[in-house]
Amino acid sequence: MNQKGSFAKYLNRMGWFFVAPALILFSVFMLYPILSSLYLVTRKWKGFTDSFIGLGNFVRMANDSLFWNALGNNFFLMLIQIPIMVFLALVLAVVLNQGIRRFRGAFRLMFFLPCVTSLVAYSILFRILLQTNGMANNIMLDLNLLSEPIGWLNDSFWAKMTIIIALTWRWTGYNMMFFLVGLQNIDSEIYEAAEVDGASKIYQFFRITLPLLVPVILFSIVTSTSGMLQLFDEPNILTNQGGPANATMTAALYIYRQAFVINSDFGYATALSYMIVILAGLFAWLQIRLLGGNKK
Amino acid sequence: MKKTLTVLLALAMFVGAAGLASAQAKKISIWCWDPNFNGYSMKEAAAVYNKAHPEVTIEIVDIPQGIEGKIEAGLMAGGAGLPDIALFQDFQIEKFITNYPGIFADLKAAGVDYSQFAGYKVGIMSEGKKVYGIPFDTGSTGLYLRSDFLKDAGLNPDSYRKNLTWNEVITLGKTVKAKTGKALIAYDNTDYQFLRMIIQSAGGQFFKPDGSLDLNTAATKAGLKVLKDMNDAGILYMSEGWNNWVSAFNNGDAAGMVSAVWLIGTIKSQPANAGKWMVVPTPSLVGVAGAQNASNWGGSSWYVFEKSKNKAIAIDFMKSVWASKDPAALGFYNTILKGAGAMGTYLPSRVGSNYTSKDEFFYKSQTVYADFSKWMEKVPALRYTANFNAMGTALTASIQKYLKGDLKTPEAVIADATEGYKQVSGN
Repeated sequence: MNQKGSFAKYLNRMGWFFVAPALILFSVFMLYPILSSLYLVTRKWKGFTDSFIGLGNFVRMANDSLFWNALGNNFFLMLIQIPIMVFLALVLAVVLNQGIRRFRGAFRLMFFLPCVTSLVAYSILFRILLQTNGMANNIMLDLNLLSEPIGWLNDSFWAKMTIIIALTWRWTGYNMMFFLVGLQNIDSEIYEAAEVDGASKIYQFFRITLPLLVPVILFSIVTSTSGMLQLFDEPNILTNQGGPANATMTAALYIYRQAFVINSDFGYATALSYMIVILAGLFAWLQIRLLGGNKK
Repeated sequence: MKKTLTVLLALAMFVGAAGLASAQAKKISIWCWDPNFNGYSMKEAAAVYNKAHPEVTIEIVDIPQGIEGKIEAGLMAGGAGLPDIALFQDFQIEKFITNYPGIFADLKAAGVDYSQFAGYKVGIMSEGKKVYGIPFDTGSTGLYLRSDFLKDAGLNPDSYRKNLTWNEVITLGKTVKAKTGKALIAYDNTDYQFLRMIIQSAGGQFFKPDGSLDLNTAATKAGLKVLKDMNDAGILYMSEGWNNWVSAFNNGDAAGMVSAVWLIGTIKSQPANAGKWMVVPTPSLVGVAGAQNASNWGGSSWYVFEKSKNKAIAIDFMKSVWASKDPAALGFYNTILKGAGAMGTYLPSRVGSNYTSKDEFFYKSQTVYADFSKWMEKVPALRYTANFNAMGTALTASIQKYLKGDLKTPEAVIADATEGYKQVSGN
């Protein structure tokens, strides 16, 4: 009995010993920043100058139409881009899984490559392609598809489209990979049974493939949504700091600019990031509630 | 277990001691952002210093993007990872002096004679009796024009080599556009610098002496009007961002632009254009009292960090090369002018041979450096404050809306930018 107790104690100690590194790293890099942000957010903190202002940063946030406009851009991009991307990824996955037999690996690699290219490099490349005298406009002008060049980077509507196109190019292949894995996990017997019952291919897709893929689709939408809320590199580089006239300013970019470019205002930037955290949490919860219902 | 720990401890001590030893080695590091311009200049300065002090290693690090953000992150981390000396844009420095008190070494106390530097450079780096930086280059501006396009339009380039007004430039632009199809001025739609230069040339300010924003001035209104007139006349070549803007004039899509003396190096990177460029004084704003044919764009200065471990060496280096009448030091200023088009603001250095020499690259071998240096004396001083970035951000967005036609009048732009400034700065 006594023997057993000390062995349990030993196990307990070893257990703590093994989780200690993770725990220490978590405390230093997660817990401490979160706790110190609680302090930061109540202060007017510019560089080394610092004074208590209570909820002042939140009052400022409530009146900051630029921030709300930026958040609106996040939602606009999210609502347009994510459905397009998920649909495309799904179609590609199905085609690659069933339609194409030859060069399947090569196609997969081709669609997957964009998401491992450097964010900065691809943003700069897209900018060069899409500038007013860039290749995209020149080709379309030469083919008489356009009568005058599109202001991909100069026009507030087209700048948003530019971001959507760039994001879709980059992330479709990434999501396609998840769908492919999802598709391969569906038991072929189900399809065979459906075949025997006389279900058409399209009927099979909507009645078997889609419902069984829901968890994967859910995962892809949740990660895309949270990625969208943190959208930063494309508006910063591709459309020049959220230009034109803040048409592609996003919340994350605005936070960065408040802290590191315009104002050194770390307290205010913290208050703004609280908003993003709350929204991201809310979204994840909502999506799991909405889509998770199907699993029953 | 214990043994391992002992070994580890010993190892840690050894590494610590090695760190200490390397701190004692005479090495200073410097951050700047353009290896062909300020990086090149610093390298030349280091070579001069190393002749007398071969034991000092001077490391020059190129930070092509986001140097201010990187420095701010370092400052928040208690100075970790920061260099001994860094280069700051003049318009950025008041933000650092205000928001990060005490980070720079007081060089006036260290014996630098600031009466020998251009006054407008020293003002912004002073705080009470302290003066922090070593002024680097001037951003004296001019209107660059392609003489060959003017000839193509049936005009005589020589008749434009004088003080012009913006109205004369618009007339010129219309002629060039009608005859050659080229827009006269390459314009960067992602930046507000063009408008800012126009406003500064007329002695306009963006802030009152107490630091509060004031865009409702005669110079700003007149500047906005001229900008719109140019846009409506179709003489602006719209480009997006720096690289696009540079290719617009280097490839001959536009017949000119307004820019500073430091752009010469960029223009010369296109040897095919030799003999074609000419530079005339910055056009003036008619109808605004105090309007000059001179303005400024950019310019930066060197700062030594107070917490630098090698502060004494860093200061000695800056003093003996950048602020000395020693012939070697003056020769250095002459070298960087020729080598990179970097025009210093140390007044005794202006006697160098390269300041007065003719430059074959320009139309009729114009004495460009003498011209820019002459215009520099007339540049009206600009008040920056700690909020210049916030103002610039707001103004950039508002003039984009203005040129697109979403805002109709200068008054509407001013109201929109003032509101935008309130949002961005929180003031």
